[in-house]
Amino acid sequence: MATFIDRYPFEAKVVRYTFAVSFLFLALGAIGGMIQALHRTGYLRFIGDITDGSYYTVLTSHGVFLVIFFTVFFLVGIFTWAVTKELDRELGNPRLTKYWVTSMTVGAILTSVAIIGGFSDSVPMSADVLFTFYAPMGAHVLFYLGLTIFITGSWVAGYDWFKTWWDWKKENEGKRIPLMTFMVLTTMLMWYLGTIGVAVEVLFFLIPFSLGLVSEVNPLLTRTLFWFFGHMVVYFWLMPVYLLWYNVLPKLAGGRLFSDPLARVVFILFLLLSVPVGIHHQYVDPGIPEGFKFMMMTNTMFLLLPSLLTAFTVVASIEHGARQRGGTGYFGWLRTLPWGNPAFSGMALAGLMFAAGGFSGMINAGMNINYLVHNTFWVPGHFHLTVGTAVALTFMAGTYWLLPQITGKRLAAKKAAAVQPFLWFVGMTFMSNAMHRAGLFGMPRRTSEPQYEGFDYEPAFGTVAEIDAQVVGGGILLTLSTFLFLYVVVRTWMGTRVSADGGDEIIDDEIPPALSGPEDSPRVLDNLKLWTAIAILLVILAYALPIAHIASQGLYEGSEYFPMLLEVLTA
Amino acid sequence: MEIHKYEKAWLVGALVLIVFFISTVAYVTAVTGVDMVDESGGTIHPDDVSDDERFGDPRVEQVGENEFEVYMVALQFIFRPDPVEVPEGSEVTFYITSDNVVHGYQIVGTNVNTMVIPGQIAEITVEFDEAGEYGVLCNEYCGIGHADMEGKVIVHPEDEWEEMQGGDD
Amino acid sequence: MGTESRERRIDHDEFDPIGTLALIGLYFVILVVMWVLMWQVEFLDGGPTVVG
Ligand code: HEM
Ligand SMILES: [Cu+2]
Ligand SMILES: [Cu+2]
Repeated sequence: MATFIDRYPFEAKVVRYTFAVSFLFLALGAIGGMIQALHRTGYLRFIGDITDGSYYTVLTSHGVFLVIFFTVFFLVGIFTWAVTKELDRELGNPRLTKYWVTSMTVGAILTSVAIIGGFSDSVPMSADVLFTFYAPMGAHVLFYLGLTIFITGSWVAGYDWFKTWWDWKKENEGKRIPLMTFMVLTTMLMWYLGTIGVAVEVLFFLIPFSLGLVSEVNPLLTRTLFWFFGHMVVYFWLMPVYLLWYNVLPKLAGGRLFSDPLARVVFILFLLLSVPVGIHHQYVDPGIPEGFKFMMMTNTMFLLLPSLLTAFTVVASIEHGARQRGGTGYFGWLRTLPWGNPAFSGMALAGLMFAAGGFSGMINAGMNINYLVHNTFWVPGHFHLTVGTAVALTFMAGTYWLLPQITGKRLAAKKAAAVQPFLWFVGMTFMSNAMHRAGLFGMPRRTSEPQYEGFDYEPAFGTVAEIDAQVVGGGILLTLSTFLFLYVVVRTWMGTRVSADGGDEIIDDEIPPALSGPEDSPRVLDNLKLWTAIAILLVILAYALPIAHIASQGLYEGSEYFPMLLEVLTA
Repeated sequence: MEIHKYEKAWLVGALVLIVFFISTVAYVTAVTGVDMVDESGGTIHPDDVSDDERFGDPRVEQVGENEFEVYMVALQFIFRPDPVEVPEGSEVTFYITSDNVVHGYQIVGTNVNTMVIPGQIAEITVEFDEAGEYGVLCNEYCGIGHADMEGKVIVHPEDEWEEMQGGDD
Repeated sequence: MGTESRERRIDHDEFDPIGTLALIGLYFVILVVMWVLMWQVEFLDGGPTVVG
């Protein structure tokens, strides 16, 4: 049977393109990560000393390139693949598709240019504001404009998938929404809801602010709007990963998805709970009453539920594969899994690291214990396990399986591919563990040279030097692993095309049905309108009072603009 | 809906875990007295900071036998006043604000850690039971010199503190 | 891939994911132990704290 590229050449091209852009940002981000690891620890400092802002230009690019562009370009690619393949139909309107692809690209370029301008004194442009761009720090207006154009592009992409599903529905009345499509749609609903926060922040406050149309903004309000969006976005990174874990990983293990109904429940829970929790990033912010913090804390803890359920369903699906392959015992079955297949090993190792990252996330969520870790190196330790591994490594592993389908070419450099996920795993074990430990004795994040004159850190065990060495060593392995991945991608891409009727050269793209299918679940799960309405209600309940409280202190009153430009700061 | 019995067990286990986590937070709030920084410090417009009775002259002030108040401003890239000096056994309330960008105030190796946001006054009370020197750093990126932004809290032993006070007259 | 090396077919009703239960039970125990350690040793025993 012909594979994706033969059946949907246009869509395959879209996916190839978005993947290519995504991987370009991954490469740039990895280089930035390496520079940061070397610089912070003092191993190698070539981007300028403490009187030079270049570290923060790198850090802004590392954050924005990786967690906005790398992740979201990959997401739109995989969602396009999922909807097209599963509904077995083309995206209805190529012009619309071209529009969002272009819009996202243009937006990404504008924002990147604004950031990279920060490296040069002769370019009157910079955006050294990190990916959280807290006012009253200001970037060049191009930075915000680019993000706006990029995000509106993603909104249109969502419409494109919805439209495809509506068309499908007309011809398939009474049928359940197929699972991958269900995941795409619920994820996009969550995205629409959560991006409202950042859209209001950027359009009504930061753009006018950076243009000088308003002279002040309320920094606590813009922060709060950012985090209205900022926690939801972590699930936006994660949902394509869950899509792969639920639909592809079981099959790679030789099994089938254990439960389709629970997968639906999980996605609905994310839609409902991923927004009304954002204030957990502001536990130690002044100006927000403790009661609001406590309420968001309980919501956050309940948001653990869908991920804990996922752990069970996904592991059980893998176990199903292992048992069918002859695996036995309580733990012995793990040995029979296809660890040599990088698509499998990558996703499985990513899942394992996610379990560890889950623990540090639970600590972050514990309102009062947040005092211990807030803004310390612990936090990047945490999210390099989650977005930096669970997401990044799963995307890489998924690519090993998907690339042949969208290029029509066999995976090349198989040996390199087979070691790549393990290299990442080892590298991240060192780097992340060291970051967590450093955070516990107070080493801060987002600091170019966290060595101070007036005091020394007091590690409970080990030494600062040993921790620095682990950060650098881990960072080197991670960078190597990233480029090994890119090497496999490029080699594959340059390979020769497998013919469509390719005999025994068939490209594997089959996804077996779930053990317990959608017919075992109540139809109300597919009522997207209902879940969206409840989600909106929960957001209003959780956010109306905090935002009213903060906004009552003034919308356009608070702080004047602080452009992060070299001239201004050194003046 | 058909759910496997093991999965049901896990569902229960997961809920128990969640309730346990929430209870930990609630217990620590209610019983150990750990308090979240909140709106109690009030607000102040950044333009008014330099003329303010408290923040115009950043300082440590003794307000009771063992009670001190610190009116602190986070600047790019220092904390004023610095160092903060108090005797051991004192209860110190920090009022911290910024007239520029967002900063962080963290006493290294402790649980004292708050954001400093322009427009807001962070109010935190800390008990210093043991004498010693604590490092302080800014843990939110605030511009080029951010990595230079540090300070100190010096908690003096009782006798040393008395000597210092005596020396003042 | 995977499916080629399948030795036997197991359907939903005959499949008890006991290995999963074991793994996830282990995870549960690790979480609880680490949680308690973090709160007690790192946080509550960890020097000055905000009390008001
Ligand atoms: C080559 C592998 C990587 C290395 C060596 C690396 C290294 C680092 C280091 C040392 C920091 C801390 C910088 C600081 O706080 O001063 C950092 C921050 C960060 N990293 Fe990575 N990283 C890597 C990959 C990734 C990936 C794959 C992602 C996400 C997909 C990621 C996302 C982030 C984010 C969001 C930050 C925080 C930026 C901020 O605080 O504004 N990193 N990285
Ligand atoms: Cu969050
Ligand atoms: Cu700072």
